Amino acid sequence: MPSYILRRLLLLIPTIFVALSFLFFLFFLLPGDPVDLIVGGENRTPDPGVILRARARYGLDEPLLIQFRDYWSRTLRWDLGESFLNGRSVNDILGERVVNSARLSIWAIVIEIIVGIGVGLLSAIKRYSIADKLTTIGTAAAAAVPVFVLGFVFQYAFAVYPNQHNWPEWARLRTSRLGPDEWFLFFIPRGDQWRYLLLPALTLACVSTALAARMMRGSMLEVMQADYMRTARAKGLGERAVVTRHGLRNALIPVVTLIGLDFGTVIGAAVLTETVFSWPGLGFTIADAVGDRDLPVILGLTLVVVLAYAVVNLIVDVSYAWFDPRIRLGEGDA
Amino acid sequence: MKSRRPVIKLLALLAGLVLLTAACGGGADDADEPGGAQEDAPKTQKGGELVDGGTFVGDPPEHIDPALNSTLDAYQVINAMYDGLTEPTGAEVKPLVAESVESNDDASVWTFKIREGMKFSNGEEIKPTTFQKSWERASNPDFAGDYAYLFNFIKGGKEKLDGKAKTLEGVAADDGAGTLTVTLASPYSNFDAVAGFQTFFPMPDEATSDPAKFTAYENGLMIGNGPYKLEKPRTDQEISLVKNDTWTGDVDGEKWEDRLDRIRFLVNADPDTSYNALGAGEVDTANIPPARVSDAEANWGNTLDVAILGSYHYVINGRNPIIGGEKNKLLRQAISQAIDREEINEAVYNGSRTSSTGITPDGIPGFKEGICKYCKYDLEAAKKAFADWQAAGNKLAAPIQIQFNADAGHEPVVQIFVDNLKEVGIQAAAQPFPTETYFSQLADGACVICRTGWFADYPTYDNFMYDLFHSDSLDGNTYGFVNEEFDGLVDKAKATVDKDEQAKLFQQAEDVLLNKEIMAIPINWYKGDYAFDKDKIAKFPQSNFGLIAWEQVALAA
Repeated sequence: MPSYILRRLLLLIPTIFVALSFLFFLFFLLPGDPVDLIVGGENRTPDPGVILRARARYGLDEPLLIQFRDYWSRTLRWDLGESFLNGRSVNDILGERVVNSARLSIWAIVIEIIVGIGVGLLSAIKRYSIADKLTTIGTAAAAAVPVFVLGFVFQYAFAVYPNQHNWPEWARLRTSRLGPDEWFLFFIPRGDQWRYLLLPALTLACVSTALAARMMRGSMLEVMQADYMRTARAKGLGERAVVTRHGLRNALIPVVTLIGLDFGTVIGAAVLTETVFSWPGLGFTIADAVGDRDLPVILGLTLVVVLAYAVVNLIVDVSYAWFDPRIRLGEGDA
Repeated sequence: MKSRRPVIKLLALLAGLVLLTAACGGGADDADEPGGAQEDAPKTQKGGELVDGGTFVGDPPEHIDPALNSTLDAYQVINAMYDGLTEPTGAEVKPLVAESVESNDDASVWTFKIREGMKFSNGEEIKPTTFQKSWERASNPDFAGDYAYLFNFIKGGKEKLDGKAKTLEGVAADDGAGTLTVTLASPYSNFDAVAGFQTFFPMPDEATSDPAKFTAYENGLMIGNGPYKLEKPRTDQEISLVKNDTWTGDVDGEKWEDRLDRIRFLVNADPDTSYNALGAGEVDTANIPPARVSDAEANWGNTLDVAILGSYHYVINGRNPIIGGEKNKLLRQAISQAIDREEINEAVYNGSRTSSTGITPDGIPGFKEGICKYCKYDLEAAKKAFADWQAAGNKLAAPIQIQFNADAGHEPVVQIFVDNLKEVGIQAAAQPFPTETYFSQLADGACVICRTGWFADYPTYDNFMYDLFHSDSLDGNTYGFVNEEFDGLVDKAKATVDKDEQAKLFQQAEDVLLNKEIMAIPINWYKGDYAFDKDKIAKFPQSNFGLIAWEQVALAA
């Protein structure tokens, strides 16, 4: 196992290199010259000399391969550069945004794990019951409703309406922004923080929770028909023990894969949720930076997204061994 | 000045939610007249804090440095932090940091006498050389922002911006005499108005002393001379201003001693979220998305009745062979007459704007109502013009493309545009471009009929005619309208001191633009779009420039 983890960690290096290098070259295929934005392109025709100086200042006058080399040289020293747009350090922007995204993602995934697995399991065990049918309809609806519509409905139902009807202060959730930014053990909200966190976390979790529930139900139903489940029952084990000890562990493997991928995705791609709730995370910032042709910000923030994605995938792969002891990572590769 | 607000993002998909909101009622008490809180002169309290959610809707401001900013949103903050040499009050321009403003007979040399005792919030005295250094900074070609082209008005400004001169030749400061003397590149009778614009605001020594730190200055604790000052460096989430106790008052000497203690400008990523935040009691003001106009009128204080000096219009690329040139004039006439501006105003903006009859809006000195002959919806006249154009041997080989920046609320307008043209028999199609590259794509010649809009920077006719359509300005070149007669009339008007004569010349220029050449299609003039909690805010005045007079905002007692 340790050698497997080490090898996977080493694989992160080419993964990150390829992903960011691809992005670097892709950037120069986008229409729109960042220098136009730097020197003011809407109302002003800058002198060619001014444009040349701006290019030189940001190293954009160098041949592409030299820029590429310089980019990696800086990045290896953890110098992510400065925003083309406002001169802010990308390291600073990253520091602010990555923690916000991480906290929101953790809670979205916690909701996905608890609700998704719980509902899916219940639905499988009580197959064809009213609860199962309601779950099927509910998860289909949750997966189908666009995130921004859901977000605005949540805002109205849990923030605007309670405020207009003088509900107690604690019962009025917040529509937007980060709030007081007070946390305990990195991700546990303190004081009023939960009122800001809950709606974006629920919204972000909604679609993926529905999918997790549906996958859990399907996976569990399949496992329930397996021979070893019949054997377990024949041995005289109680239904609860059969489901939890034998069924759940096996049924969880595809669901854990899905949840792992979700975590990697939501940390950097929760653009809509972050926009609707003005949550200052990575996804919104990267999307904005693409619009502004702000290369240092795009690359700096994406670096962390790729890293997070790769690490989460590694954790998911390692977790397979716990869920199914038959899987012995790194020992049967040859 | 361009606005960055994404006006009606997600409009259609939110229709259901809007209905729900309306059905459930708003957050405030029974409806009053819009702005009624202001008209009834209610009791106000001293100081207090206001949380603004209506200014920054979409993205945080790129710049809050007066030399760099080009958006109305950030100007709200800048205007609270800085006072310029002059300030427009309605159609009149009054001296502010200047004690007096004089020009020679032909308006080619302007002398500003600076008031004694004017200071920045850090105690630094404001002298004539303060302005000189600030202008040198703002016209530094390696730093200059979108509005730096205004330095072209000053002698040597063009050379400075092009990197061919180190200083602005036409600017002379005499601290002993307290005068700032500005020699212009050519006579310009409205320079007193331009000199009060943000690009010409004074900046303290710490901002002007080191060119290497020019860009970073706005990310620190900027120092200003206005009624408010930064409490802490801005973040992407919030800009917080507090009362500047060293402020000496407005153009009338009024100090507004009871003004707010603190204004927190919060950044909201979406206009509907901003509006919901108002409903949830998280902010005191919000931007009104067009789909929520009725709700805002019924439930909140608002500035919907404030006519903003701004124009929403479409321009025509004169260089484009499909639609430009003399031979296509009848086609352009047919298009302009086919547009149902009232339908656009009602269907897209809930009647919250004024259908325009020209580019230059009411409120600008020299404004003439109904200057555009072809801006009234006239289906029969449009059909006849189009038929005449076809009879002359012309035909459209493909639908005319109408360009606009996507996801900024222009889709429904363009759709009505296309439908209107279809009624005449003119085939047209919407052509959305990414907002971020829209103007650069237009500059590359992509415009056929393209959307644009403009808020007045100062109350002058030339701020619409020169800045948008003169061939010297980038936008004029961008849109492809280059006309010697128009340029000559605008140049002559700018140099004319007599205001009546000047107005006639500008009107003639606009007549050339809209009637003789038909190179722009006015759609509507803007109105205010702030909603505010009228139970909490007693006074929330918005000027015709769209600027909130923050020093006059007062909370209810």
